[in-house]
Amino acid sequence: MTSRPSHIGAHVARVEDDRLLSGGARFVADVSLPGMLDAAFYRSPLPHALIESVDTADAMGLPGVAGAFTADDMTDVSPFPDFDRNARPVAIFPLARGRVRYVGAPIAVVVAHDRYEAEDARDLVSAELEPLDPAVSVDEALAADAPLLYPEWPDNIVIQSAVTNPDAMAAFEGRTTVSGRYQVGRHAGVPMETRGVAAEYRDGRLTVWTSTQFPHIARTMLSYCLPLDETDIRVIAPDVGGGFGVKAEFYTEEVTIPWLAMRLGRPVRWIEDRREHLISACHARDLTLDLEAAVDGDGRFRAVRGMAIQDLGAAEMYPYGFSPAFAAVSQITGPYRIPHQSVGVIAVATNKTPCGAYRGFGIPEAVFAMERLMDKAADRLGIERREIRRRNLLGPDDLPYRTSSGAIVDSGSHRQAFEETARLTSESLDRWQARLAHDPHVRLGSGVVSYIEGVTPSYFATSGHWTSFDSCSVRMNPDGTAVVSVGVSTSGQGLESMLTSLAAEALGVGRDQVRIVMGDTDRTPYGLGSWGSRSTNVASGALREAADVVMDKATRIAAHLMEASPDDITVQDGRFSVRGTPGASVTWRDVATVANIRTIDLPEGVKPGMQATASYEPPGIEHHPDEFGRLNGCATYTNASHGAVVSVDVGTGKVRVLEYIVAHDCGTVINPQIVRGQVVGGIAQGIGGALLEKLHYDEWGNPMSTSFLDYHLPTATEIPNMVVRHFQSPAPAMPWGAKGSGEAGIIGPAPAIASAVEEALSDLGVAEITRTPITAPHVLSLVTSSVSAGRREERENSR
Amino acid sequence: MKPVRQPAGRLPVSMSVNGRPVELTVDARRLLVDVLREDLGLTGTHIGCEQGSCGACTVLVEGRPVRSCIMLGVQADGCDVTTVEGITPEDGLNPMQQAFREHHGLQCGFCTPGFLTTLAGVTADEYPDEESVRELLSGNLCRCTGYEGIVDAVMAAWGRDR
Ligand code: FES
Ligand code: FES
Repeated sequence: MTSRPSHIGAHVARVEDDRLLSGGARFVADVSLPGMLDAAFYRSPLPHALIESVDTADAMGLPGVAGAFTADDMTDVSPFPDFDRNARPVAIFPLARGRVRYVGAPIAVVVAHDRYEAEDARDLVSAELEPLDPAVSVDEALAADAPLLYPEWPDNIVIQSAVTNPDAMAAFEGRTTVSGRYQVGRHAGVPMETRGVAAEYRDGRLTVWTSTQFPHIARTMLSYCLPLDETDIRVIAPDVGGGFGVKAEFYTEEVTIPWLAMRLGRPVRWIEDRREHLISACHARDLTLDLEAAVDGDGRFRAVRGMAIQDLGAAEMYPYGFSPAFAAVSQITGPYRIPHQSVGVIAVATNKTPCGAYRGFGIPEAVFAMERLMDKAADRLGIERREIRRRNLLGPDDLPYRTSSGAIVDSGSHRQAFEETARLTSESLDRWQARLAHDPHVRLGSGVVSYIEGVTPSYFATSGHWTSFDSCSVRMNPDGTAVVSVGVSTSGQGLESMLTSLAAEALGVGRDQVRIVMGDTDRTPYGLGSWGSRSTNVASGALREAADVVMDKATRIAAHLMEASPDDITVQDGRFSVRGTPGASVTWRDVATVANIRTIDLPEGVKPGMQATASYEPPGIEHHPDEFGRLNGCATYTNASHGAVVSVDVGTGKVRVLEYIVAHDCGTVINPQIVRGQVVGGIAQGIGGALLEKLHYDEWGNPMSTSFLDYHLPTATEIPNMVVRHFQSPAPAMPWGAKGSGEAGIIGPAPAIASAVEEALSDLGVAEITRTPITAPHVLSLVTSSVSAGRREERENSR
Repeated sequence: MKPVRQPAGRLPVSMSVNGRPVELTVDARRLLVDVLREDLGLTGTHIGCEQGSCGACTVLVEGRPVRSCIMLGVQADGCDVTTVEGITPEDGLNPMQQAFREHHGLQCGFCTPGFLTTLAGVTADEYPDEESVRELLSGNLCRCTGYEGIVDAVMAAWGRDR
């Protein structure tokens, strides 16, 4: 069954687009049920306080209000289990019990006839809060006299792993060392669709619609928290308006709203508003890497050591907000031959919104630190910045290579992608220099960086509970069309289209004969959902196994119908033929009709029905780090190099990205347009994080970024044109050789832009850029201090 | 007890929505976006911020793009209102929608109706080059696409090379 035209790599329109373009999609906010009530949350106005009492009497007095509840009412609810035995337990509970640890923590919930009335009533809730001193930064939280967020703990450390690898330490002896403290600021995924939950309890069954990336995990978590068996819970993730990791957290509201539906016997809905989103959906990053490298005189890195310090916020987030710090450590050496590493982790609770997942998941932080250190080492040793990377990058002869972080890099185009990016970036810089030469205010620069990104990861390191498998079920209808249901679910990436192509490929039918079902626990086999650039890999692995079972059976039936040998059967476009016998053919409809309806025509020994379910666990994934934190936590690794060409206005500090270059390798490309869209979209988010986005807090722990007026997402004018080159180094162990492409784009912009800004300002001798976002005021302060330092020097010299 | 905000009364509104006459009585404080989505079931118009800054809720009022999250339903009294459902032909997609599909101008699609209605309310001549197109689009936020596919789609639908 080979040599037919393939759906892999073809340019095909997305199957989900028509409904999304015409207003026909269904997001959670579009779910409407008879008698449905709207909920509004009363959230903590203080960063740290004891809850003395909550008074909901006035709220209850308003017309249209069906109920107002606090934690005390939730006597039949269990806290989230604390799975990770290495972390201190936080026992997340849907509404705050006794204490609030961040502005935005839910204290009470009010349910009313509509949203307006619910918000009116919510504004009448009053809580007696006894303010406590907040710990707003890691330094404050680690101080000897720090206020404790969890008074039962001796300090505010949620988890730490002190690593001392003696080989790494030995490598530092007698070598040049370069070190820095690199901080990726607090920002978040901020999907355009906020969170939302709707729930109905009817006939002993709970149905929950939620804007989630993992409906099956949500169902399992609900069964842990509510007095229901999993079989009595159905979770539906309808169209999801962007996830980016924000919706790969299980939130307390996903328990509260179903609980309300059960308690009130009415459907209940909650649609988060943007202010709520910015203070109560997970934040991310806010990771500091103290990193030191031992470097030979020729620029070769011999070892890195240091510490990843995570400002975790209030820690009430599951899956764990500290996991990205561990992911960062497990890939810190990137695509470089660095024989030794010794990097520990400490995650500290502070009085800010809890951190969680965001696209890239620790790798943007790791790469920012590593690439900044590469630049610094190059400058220190007088080696050109691109040249030092050449001296350290993995070459084809090195593969497969186990990095000192534990990652097993099985394939890739590390050097090729780097050289291509370096060349294109230089050409771009020349073009822009010619174009902008007349402008005395701007200076231009470029930066090139390189990285790998683990995809299809273990979830054990993140959840302390689930590992990494997923499932697929293939069912052929009597008319020869296919229903393919999967445990992964989409939040806009185009997964329906990807799986349609792969199913058509595996089953020998047209794309229009395939219907993908996802995002509904009643209609799909168990799976862990969509995050970690895993969906195509895990779903296609399971799909391939299920399709093999179906095809084996179909081939035998077709052979029987045509009185041929199964070995001679081929299939294409829904038609089975006999090799070497032109004219002989039966359709998928004929075969599926025999299997499902006219079972009297089945060959001997073939059972009726035409369906199969398979589960797939990607090979080679390790779930536990070794004593030095090393772990091959991912099934495979993509690689990429990014180049940024920027202008810096020395009068205002404003950085503009003029052009962005990327050479990217995610193995076999199944749908080129979708892959490009993922890469470009990720880069745009990365540029936002590099230049604009910051979830800012004042010194007392008040969130200052609560609308799009003070949390700046990039618009069409800030995102430059991009040059994208694809390399394809298939993953040897993955079905179809594909590697995930969902997250990679976001990783490169911060270090590439930082490097480019430094180059642009190199003749001013500005200090190193060590943190993001690289805002205009930040750049201006670097310029001003370098200018005044220069003046000081001049004055001193002239004395 | 805190003072209770008294919602003002209910008022009659008559408007034309996607070419059909609509008569209804709404709370004076009810936002146009809620009238469209909740009362008329036109859920293609989305809410991304309710602060007037993301553009997801854009509809056409008297042919001009308007943010329906910062306009009251009663303010649309006597107006022609067009939503994404109204710019979609009975059969298939309009040329701009087709260009979005062809050029991967959408991923999750949550922002998309706002872009489409914004574009439906302007003429190509007002935005002669890519820079001005980007300027036009900068009033709408998209978190998925990096705008590349959207700009490509607009340029293609307006018959321009990129
Ligand atoms: S929802 Fe109206 S502008 Fe964002
Ligand atoms: S396509 Fe998702 S926000 Fe624009």
